[in-house]
Amino acid sequence: MVSAEMVWGISLLYIALLFLVAYLADKRQREGRSITSNAVIYALSIAVYATSWTFYGSVGKAATTGMDFILTYLGPSLTAFSWWFFLRKIIRVTKENNTTSLADFISSRYGKSQWLGALVTIISIMGIMPYIGLQLKAVSSAFSIITGHPDFHLRFMDSISLPSPHPGFFSALILAAFSVIFGARHLVSSERHEGLVAAIALESIVKLAAFLIVGIFVTYFLFDGFGDIFQRMYEKNPIMLEHLITFGDEPETSYTALFTMLYLSMGAIMFLPRQFQIMAIENPSEKHVTKAMWLFPLYMFLINIFVMPIALGGILITGSNLNSDYFVLTIPLQTGNHWIALIAYLGGFSAAAGMVMVESVTISTMLLNHVIMPIVIRLEPRSWFPELLINAKRVGIFLVVFLGYFYQNIVGGTYMLVTMGLISFAAAAQFAPAVLGGLYWHRGNKAGAITGMFLGFLTWFYTLLIPSFIRSGWWHSDIMTSGPFGLGFLRPTQLFGLTGFDMWSHSLFWSLFFNVGAYLLLSILTPQEEKEQEQARKFIDVFTPDRGKAPYETKRLSKPVTILQFVNLMAKFIGEPQAHAAISDYIGNREIDSQGGVSEFELPNLKRFIEKTLAGSLGAAAAGAVVESYLTDIGSKMESVYDIFSTVRTSLDQSREALFVRLRASEIMNRSLDLEIIMKDLLELLQKEFKFDLCIIRLVNEEGILTVHAFTGPEDQQITRNNWVPEIDTHIGEAFLSNRAEFVNDTRYLTKQKSREIMEREGIKSFAHIPIASEGEPPVGILSVFSKSIIGLFTEPFLQLLSSLAGQLAQAVKIVSEREAKEKERQQKEAALLENARVVRDMEIAKQIQLSLLPASPPDLPGARFASCCVPATHVGGDYYDFFIRGKETVDLIIADVSGHSVGAALIMVETRSVLRAQVPLTTSSSEVLASLNDLLYEDLTRAELFITMFYANYDAGSKLLRYANAGHNPPLIMGKGAAACIELDAEGLILGINRTVSFEEKLFQLHEGDLVLFYTDGIIEAQNEGGELFGVDRLCLILKNMALEEPDRIMRRVLAEVTRFAGSKPLEDDISMIIMRID
Amino acid sequence: MTLKALLLKSLRTRESWVIFFVLGIIMMNYPFISIFNKPLSVLGFPLLYLYLQLGWLISIFVIYLFTKANHSANKGNDSHKGEQG
Repeated sequence: MVSAEMVWGISLLYIALLFLVAYLADKRQREGRSITSNAVIYALSIAVYATSWTFYGSVGKAATTGMDFILTYLGPSLTAFSWWFFLRKIIRVTKENNTTSLADFISSRYGKSQWLGALVTIISIMGIMPYIGLQLKAVSSAFSIITGHPDFHLRFMDSISLPSPHPGFFSALILAAFSVIFGARHLVSSERHEGLVAAIALESIVKLAAFLIVGIFVTYFLFDGFGDIFQRMYEKNPIMLEHLITFGDEPETSYTALFTMLYLSMGAIMFLPRQFQIMAIENPSEKHVTKAMWLFPLYMFLINIFVMPIALGGILITGSNLNSDYFVLTIPLQTGNHWIALIAYLGGFSAAAGMVMVESVTISTMLLNHVIMPIVIRLEPRSWFPELLINAKRVGIFLVVFLGYFYQNIVGGTYMLVTMGLISFAAAAQFAPAVLGGLYWHRGNKAGAITGMFLGFLTWFYTLLIPSFIRSGWWHSDIMTSGPFGLGFLRPTQLFGLTGFDMWSHSLFWSLFFNVGAYLLLSILTPQEEKEQEQARKFIDVFTPDRGKAPYETKRLSKPVTILQFVNLMAKFIGEPQAHAAISDYIGNREIDSQGGVSEFELPNLKRFIEKTLAGSLGAAAAGAVVESYLTDIGSKMESVYDIFSTVRTSLDQSREALFVRLRASEIMNRSLDLEIIMKDLLELLQKEFKFDLCIIRLVNEEGILTVHAFTGPEDQQITRNNWVPEIDTHIGEAFLSNRAEFVNDTRYLTKQKSREIMEREGIKSFAHIPIASEGEPPVGILSVFSKSIIGLFTEPFLQLLSSLAGQLAQAVKIVSEREAKEKERQQKEAALLENARVVRDMEIAKQIQLSLLPASPPDLPGARFASCCVPATHVGGDYYDFFIRGKETVDLIIADVSGHSVGAALIMVETRSVLRAQVPLTTSSSEVLASLNDLLYEDLTRAELFITMFYANYDAGSKLLRYANAGHNPPLIMGKGAAACIELDAEGLILGINRTVSFEEKLFQLHEGDLVLFYTDGIIEAQNEGGELFGVDRLCLILKNMALEEPDRIMRRVLAEVTRFAGSKPLEDDISMIIMRID
Repeated sequence: MTLKALLLKSLRTRESWVIFFVLGIIMMNYPFISIFNKPLSVLGFPLLYLYLQLGWLISIFVIYLFTKANHSANKGNDSHKGEQG
């Protein structure tokens, strides 16, 4: 015997070590340098599967029924083959859904059903009761075996005479306290408990090491190896050995029993709540599964390698297989090796403690989330909720452990460890159909899962749990032998007369028969809700998240909820700092509008995020309910968007309907060039296809006003007469200015007052304004669509379709307006050309008239020959010359130049001519003519801002005397016969139209025979060549000199030709006129 | 390695897991196990004991080999690891 104080001390030291490890692991986790995040730790933590059952019970089983103990470990080893596709899928699903437990997992899959979550929780609590009882029994028995005192007894307890509790009470108390400290410090249960995992991994090392030490001690120190033990056993009791090393025919070791055990253990490794917790929820990375797949079976192999030798050794040493459950302890004790016994005790304690810790934490989480939470969330959320919840979880842990204590008190004495454990395995097997079906069968539904699991549980309860109570003698009943109410066919272990099976196979058969049967039948017969289908897709298609998912949001919130509202809600359940941390993760770089909300299409995502975050603490079902009830409170709810495209959305980007509408729209655009027809047809198409009550197209006009161009719908609506100046206070203005579709899915929640009034007056439920704009260009108008019946009409794909139609329309508008602009320009040009032609024609007429006003031919005067011409630079000009015959021998010659050569100049020239014609008969001298002319024309010239240069000469052919006066005109040139140079005839006199009264000098010049007189205007001498050089008087003189003997006509033509040649390509800038007089 | 080859590889791997899983169950079941369910002794060990223990070891080794093969096949391509799972 070892002293109780010693065992207490060692136990406390060991617990302290575990705490230290857990503390370090938690600390490292907070620092972000996780030590548990590696495949070896992960595999070791899965080894929580090896409990007291393995440590003590396997040897007991091996010593009584033989080799079949091994099946409990071969099953999980085989299952490891499936982890590659099965466990990894579960892990992926739990990570994506923030799953907190097995109950959460199952309820999530079946539409977040609270009932299902609660059912799984109840089955877990009831089912696990024997398993925890087993651990408590093992720990307390071990304590009493090793110390000789019952359950964690200390000597001083005698002195204070505590009421002696049942064995296992202190074990339960210690283990429960232990679990609370490790597993219920934080509320967020989807978070990994690194401290717990680290402690479990350490315990796995301790129990393996302890068992190997005992095994090696027994096999190689007490005996001479494996062969020796088998040999001695054969010699001692060959019949018993044969029984132990083969599978026999009696029910306990029949093939059926073996396979039942194999399947039970295969189910247990996946579906026991604590295995699920450790393998899926506490899993740090999917990658670790690969290594754990062979590390975990190896662990199982190692911890079982010495089971047979210890069992046979125990039989050899103690002489029988009585109390063989504790051979691991009794062999070292009997052979006097107390230290080895102490190590074995520590291993056993490790095995039990690990299991109880994980199991109780797991189940209390379930209890909290699926039984307590559904009640709590019906209450008004309060600030002390997080506090309440965490304490509820702690109470839950104690409850779970003490239920186990209660069970082991009743049944503990009757059943062997393994027998108790297998009852729990059979309960865990009830989860298999729902989980497997849930992960691989889309049709599997809530009704099937609930009914199947419930029937399976009832059968298990009736065929396994009740018989265990009866056999223990706790409940006296004869239903085992004669059935309830004397109905023999209802005997719990021979249900419906099924005999010849061991109780495990019998129970497993019937429970799974009802479970699977109901699951399949109801899944096929009853429909799935939409929510269930969505969840099913999330689970089954977890590796292909895009497949089967609607490409667009199909839900909307009827009333928008702000981020702040959601944060406040979250804070009530998970605490304020956590809520803020979570939401800032979510917001990231998403767009937030001025009211602190996200876009309508983003809202359902936000809602799902809130649910997922809450699910990390409350479980998916409760989280869903919390959010739903909150939304109901503020008058919002999740509703399906109106499915405008009647066909079910496929993975294709557009439904057939959308394609059809696009096609029709482009037909409309291409069919006509008339914008009015295009718009009208397009609106009719929209109205027909999408059941709008009103569609309006407004185009912006030159003043920037959105003017109604086309509409469909009732004629006498005021709204169709509204032309808008685009401003931010209306939705239409906002759409136009921001060039972004504006839509309101529910006009009850409109914030723009102006819009609200209009929509209320017209009874419009939802509407959208889509800018008519080509890619990358400002909008040219707005397409507005209104519905008076449908709320939530505008979905992302629908708006995209409308925008694309508006884009097409913008193209049409652009093409039409471009064409119109071109047409207008062409017409303007044409009109200008026409006008020009008319002016030219008029000018041509004016030219003819003007030319006709000049003398038709030079006068016929004896002794003088004349030539004259006028070449206007443009159509009409300001040059003028004339002859007045005064008598037989006298002629007046006038040459004048009105400044400029415009029509004005021409008119003045005409006036001058008329005045001159009137004045000439009244005057006698040249200077007199000029003076009176100046006086008469002064007013008109001043008004027209014109002036006239004029040279007036009177020639008497008889005396060959030339009398002349000059009003600022170019002096005429005289080339005397044989002279070397020209003479300029000049006289004093101011240009006409400068002063009212001017006196003109009159001069005389005696001409001789052969003299040439040239009167000309400045158009000749001021003609420029390309170099800017003037023609000049000298060149003119030279021509006169060279042609002194020629006829005046020829001279005139020569002068014209020379001037034209001199100017070259430059057009004449001024009119050219000249009179050439030759004296004979 | 082309995408196709990778895909084929992954598929092949996943199927071989299922095959070995089923094979394991068959070898643990009647009638297969009855071949070894005899009170014979081989090298001083009971036949059934030897069969189960050796079979177990071999199965662990097979898993080990598979995960190794899979690991090298997926090396440098971790993001696609097991997308077919």
